[in-house]
Amino acid sequence: MKSRALLRLAAVAILGAGVGCGPEERRTEISVQRFFGECGAVYGRSTEVAAAEGECGIVTTLINRFAADNPDLDVDANVVAWPGYAQLTAQIAAGDPPDLVTMHQSVISDYQARGLLEPMDDLLRQAGVRPEDFTAAGRRGVSKGGAVYGLPWDTVGGLYHVNTGLFAQAGLMKDGKPVVPRSAEELLEHARRFKRATGRPYLIQSQVNDPATHVRNLYTYLLAQDAVVFPDPQHIRLRTPEARRVVELFRTLEREGLTTRNQDYPAATASFLNGEGGVFLTGTWMLGPFEEEARTPGRPLHDSYAVVPYPRLWGRQAAFVDGHAWVAPKRERSPEQRRALARFIGFMAGHNFDWSRTGHLPAFRSVVESPEFQALPHRSDIAPLATAGAPLPSFVQRQAAIEGMVGEELASAITGAKTVEEALRDAERRVNDLLSRL
Amino acid sequence: MNALGRRSLLQAAPFIGPFLLLYVGLLIYPLIDGLALSFHRADPFGGRAFAGLENYARLASDPVFGQALGNTFKYAVLVVPVLTAITLALALALNKPGRTASVFRGLFFSSSVLSVTIITLIWRFVLTPDAGLLAEAWEAGGREPVPFLSQPDLALLAVAVATIWWSIGLPMMLFLAGLQQIPEDIFEAAALDRANRWTTFRRITLPSLRRTVVLVVMLQTAAQLQLFGQAQLLTAGGPGGASRPVVLFIYETAFTRWELGYASAIAQVLFVLILAVTLLQFRAGTSRREP
Repeated sequence: MKSRALLRLAAVAILGAGVGCGPEERRTEISVQRFFGECGAVYGRSTEVAAAEGECGIVTTLINRFAADNPDLDVDANVVAWPGYAQLTAQIAAGDPPDLVTMHQSVISDYQARGLLEPMDDLLRQAGVRPEDFTAAGRRGVSKGGAVYGLPWDTVGGLYHVNTGLFAQAGLMKDGKPVVPRSAEELLEHARRFKRATGRPYLIQSQVNDPATHVRNLYTYLLAQDAVVFPDPQHIRLRTPEARRVVELFRTLEREGLTTRNQDYPAATASFLNGEGGVFLTGTWMLGPFEEEARTPGRPLHDSYAVVPYPRLWGRQAAFVDGHAWVAPKRERSPEQRRALARFIGFMAGHNFDWSRTGHLPAFRSVVESPEFQALPHRSDIAPLATAGAPLPSFVQRQAAIEGMVGEELASAITGAKTVEEALRDAERRVNDLLSRL
Repeated sequence: MNALGRRSLLQAAPFIGPFLLLYVGLLIYPLIDGLALSFHRADPFGGRAFAGLENYARLASDPVFGQALGNTFKYAVLVVPVLTAITLALALALNKPGRTASVFRGLFFSSSVLSVTIITLIWRFVLTPDAGLLAEAWEAGGREPVPFLSQPDLALLAVAVATIWWSIGLPMMLFLAGLQQIPEDIFEAAALDRANRWTTFRRITLPSLRRTVVLVVMLQTAAQLQLFGQAQLLTAGGPGGASRPVVLFIYETAFTRWELGYASAIAQVLFVLILAVTLLQFRAGTSRREP
């Protein structure tokens, strides 16, 4: 008797679960994969986009908000360690890529050239997003061979993050703005004066395990001198007077102790936050966190922070920039999934202002021109990045690998482990060897 | 094969078959496919073009590979003898009954259960020149911190020290097992002959542990020639490739540069080198007569 009752109970439970599963089964599943770090402990359940801070906080909250606003969709969000391309490559090779994934615009050509990404013109149209509304940098970053391969999300580049308190001690402030050098010679003169006045190095640089720092400096000042770095898809040109000039400058700064040494990225960031140097050469992504520090009483950066584009040391004002984008790896998708992706893309495009609070420049002209973006601190100071910024030519593949090789050789030259000539020769040989086999 | 043999084979097949299938599918086939891949230009997405010996010829003239190979042997030379000596000493010290010895055995083994990520985080806290444990000690003594992770001469040493700390557990346990197999009466006889501790160690303990020493040296050499995670996470192979081991070079070549054929050729060379070194050690360790 008892066992029959139990059986009936089990049957009811199974049927009940079945009924409960009905709507669940109808939910359309999409998988999105992103880098920008893991902050689930703080933002795991947050949907308050306006209250979120930093890249990780904002992107996590945006995805949470999208999932909450679209209960008919099952959004599977996967966070990968930066930059996550080894994992994505393995997923594509295994035939199981995510539906949408964050990708640096400089990396798109690697996957696009192998036919691994889906052109997104139709998806964008379905989402009501027009490529004509992208900024010039954003559109250039995602356009390949006449098609659009991603939703550009921002433009990122290197900036001169300045400790104005220390600059004032060194007499390098004028009308409340930092005085930036106008030539390489003047940079050295400022750096020496700064060190004499403050006892601290002028530059803070992340030089350990961080090839991007040196490469960003080199590309920026090669662009400024109108040097042709990649004459064709198979060659890099680094043994040039323009490149020697740039590397020699950073070698001199290192030799004279005008920059921090032996710091990796966390150490360099901590140095700047603790007021241990004048200028931190890092990217747009730190603008938000540094602003936060500048607003916090009692912190070394309190009321002592400004940010400007890299100064013009040679030639013209220029900046090497990249950007983030959402791209769609090629795979089978149902019409429902495509509609769901279009909704996600439309949502992310609609929240481009929220993303620009990170410090990155928006990818939509309407956001760049909007009063709310203009009202964010320092955005007018870094506006020239949007016009002066340029990426590498879109035909250059394996830009991440090239950055690793060039950055490694530059670090050897700057620390004196190799001569500048040797380092540039080795970098050129290694990159050309790679490019010749594509 | 006679009928008896055939029957035995049929009876054994259900037991051997599943393992054999997995072994061939997961080990033998990838090994052969990897070898075939090394004669191609290939990317991770299935694209392959036959390239003959091009990848091997390229290896011979690649200075980055040469540097990585040199670093790999340096790791083995730095780690294996020191690790063997330390773990043997620990095993001798802890080869006794009692709670204290077992607590220490557990303590020394504990580092082995940690993942490479944790190990490198711990050593980063110790070695980083900004606020690292050693840097604080150096600064307290009024000295400039030593940049262990960014000096070409020290980065490799730093990775080797972290590796030794991480790897102590298993060899120590192997030596303990070896020590516990030596009959106690030999030591009693030595004590009756008034042999001192050094003589007992040299004449009895060490010869009795010869097989274990060979095993530890072989296992550790093979392991250190495949060192990867510590170098990737602690120094990223830098500065200037000074701490890049071969496996990290393989990883970069395959997953950053997408040169799967070239990476496979490097892997084949490393495989042959590990096999040769291990066989040499085995031969050297077992050529003398048993005691």
